[in-house]
Amino acid sequence: MYYIHAISSISHQQTFDLDSIHNGLVKLTQESPLITPEFKDILPPTALRRLSPILKISLTTAIRCVNDSEFDGIVVGTGLGCLQDTEKFLLTINNATSDVLSPTAFIQSTHNTIGGQISLFLKNHAYNMTHTQNALSFEISLLDGMTLLSEGKSNILVGAADEKIPFLELLNENLIKTEYSFTSLATFFNLKNAKSDKGIFVKDVLVLANSKKDINEVILQFLEKNQCNPSSLTKVYHSDLEISLSTEKVNYLDFTGYNYAASALAFHIGVSKLSEDKGSILIVNSLIKNDLGLILLER
Amino acid sequence: MQIFITGYGVISSIGLNVEENYNSLKNKTSGIKLTDSTIFKNYKVGSIQYSNEELAAMFNLQTKGSRTAILGMIAAKEAFKDHELSSEIRTGLISGTSVGGMDLTENLYKDYLKGNFNTEEYKHHPSGVTTIEIAQELGLEDCFLNTISTACSSAANAIMQGARLIKNNVLDRVIVGGTDALTEFTFNGFRSLMIFDEEWCRPFDNTRNGLNLGEGAGYIVLESEVSILKSNSKPIGILSGWNSSSDAYHQTASSPEGYGAVLSMRGALEMSCLNCNEISYINAHGTSTPNNDASESMALKTVFEGNVPAFSSTKSYTGHTLAASGGIEAVYALLAINRGVLFPNLNFSQAITETQLIPQKIFEEQKRVNHVLSNSFGFGGNNSSIIISSLN
Repeated sequence: MYYIHAISSISHQQTFDLDSIHNGLVKLTQESPLITPEFKDILPPTALRRLSPILKISLTTAIRCVNDSEFDGIVVGTGLGCLQDTEKFLLTINNATSDVLSPTAFIQSTHNTIGGQISLFLKNHAYNMTHTQNALSFEISLLDGMTLLSEGKSNILVGAADEKIPFLELLNENLIKTEYSFTSLATFFNLKNAKSDKGIFVKDVLVLANSKKDINEVILQFLEKNQCNPSSLTKVYHSDLEISLSTEKVNYLDFTGYNYAASALAFHIGVSKLSEDKGSILIVNSLIKNDLGLILLER
Repeated sequence: MQIFITGYGVISSIGLNVEENYNSLKNKTSGIKLTDSTIFKNYKVGSIQYSNEELAAMFNLQTKGSRTAILGMIAAKEAFKDHELSSEIRTGLISGTSVGGMDLTENLYKDYLKGNFNTEEYKHHPSGVTTIEIAQELGLEDCFLNTISTACSSAANAIMQGARLIKNNVLDRVIVGGTDALTEFTFNGFRSLMIFDEEWCRPFDNTRNGLNLGEGAGYIVLESEVSILKSNSKPIGILSGWNSSSDAYHQTASSPEGYGAVLSMRGALEMSCLNCNEISYINAHGTSTPNNDASESMALKTVFEGNVPAFSSTKSYTGHTLAASGGIEAVYALLAINRGVLFPNLNFSQAITETQLIPQKIFEEQKRVNHVLSNSFGFGGNNSSIIISSLN
């Protein structure tokens, strides 16, 4: 079994250090800011100085998932990686007037900086992986975490993060075409086979890429495979999609904004909802055309 | 459950396919040289001497993409050439890359800074898109696709994840490896770290002074036994062990004693149930930076307790191909096993004072090569080791 223990998010909603997040969600506007805690209370001074926003929010939420034993696996999903430092280094090399370049932005531009910073901070020597399959990066990371537990590990940190930079706005209406605001967010949680207090667990996850299949059919097959009667679902969280199920549906993009890690925050919202009452929740991620991620959460 | 290897493909500065790569390895022909590119200036690189358009035409590619995607398509198609897609065999693709479509993005940013740019070009940027483009060229649909980005260990980690997903019954067959194109971004990144040697790199040599960058792609096909019964593929090796661990020492440097490297090599050996003395050859990470080679040498001595088997770094031929290196070197490991050869470490003359390890210096034939250990260590502290074994 894949039980969710601690979970933490920083987003444009009030999500950090709250036991319950699903009731206080507000529909985001273009002006909704990223709501960050006082990083100086959590991160060491060097991290405060050097780390970009995506690294700060990832490390902070990861720290909130730490328990008494060491993680035996750290899995991070990120669709676009450390965009701010990537852009900074692109500008550095284009504007350089001398032959000497500062390496800091380059060092922190690689996707695995997120997992690397977490392992450095925790002095953790375990499996450390970074998956980057666009908007499916979170689902793939979750699947990897579950696979690690099946292989005999017991205490896994899984998370996803993506950040916005102004450049992304320039792509809107041409390459991206979204009415939702671009956001930054990080969600990390602790996955174990040991039962948690609330008993909320991941029943199954599905990743389907480069697919022209009918999503509603895939959803029905997925539920059937998991012996889950569609009428028994508590809620379906989706990324702005027509879903034929009669269950109560919530478009999570209203609350997450446009972000490749959006389904990770939807996952946290689902966990929060289930912490209130027993039931099952389906998260449907079809943010990018032809790519589908499904997660079934139960309690 | 055994994980069989049933295909391989590679493109690098020493050849456009497996056979060309083998001949260069055999003839001690390095692909690293000065180019007339204004980007790389007076630095030698292992670049592939054809433009994207030339490569697309030569290999009859149907899908458009960044150079990273194009190199990936070429090597992945070679790896999969004797295979057919079938609804009976769940086939996936897991590809490692560190830069994705950066070769296009960096030009886009030049235009952007001038105030006028074509946003369409950015669609090739995300690393995950390079993998989708490779999948499209292979005709893979409705499948599991993933991209791993753990810097220089990306392809090794992609190989590992593919094997794990077969073991866990998520996939029956998977194309795994990595691809990275030379870009101005990575070139300047490594230049800013001041880890280039202006001369030819000399892995494990006492006078080594940095790496040469390269580009390329390498993929292998992994299959379960059940999948082979359906596909009738001919196995060419077994992936018998793997491990990925974290050095957790520094964002860019390896620990002096190679702690993470020791963990990953020991983990892979333990999984394969092999003793140290059963390893016939080690394809080392061997970037030729003072830090990596000292750290890796220490780790080799620790793991093999002084009896280090024949080892070499083929980065002296290809340059450091970053996320692709673990894929390219997995192909070389298969060549070593199937042709009974050991590849030399070019440009070596003098052992590192502290460790005194001497790599394989000559191309040797008619060797019995049963088990090859291949190391890939990434910037950020990702250490991965895989073991490829012969069929018997």
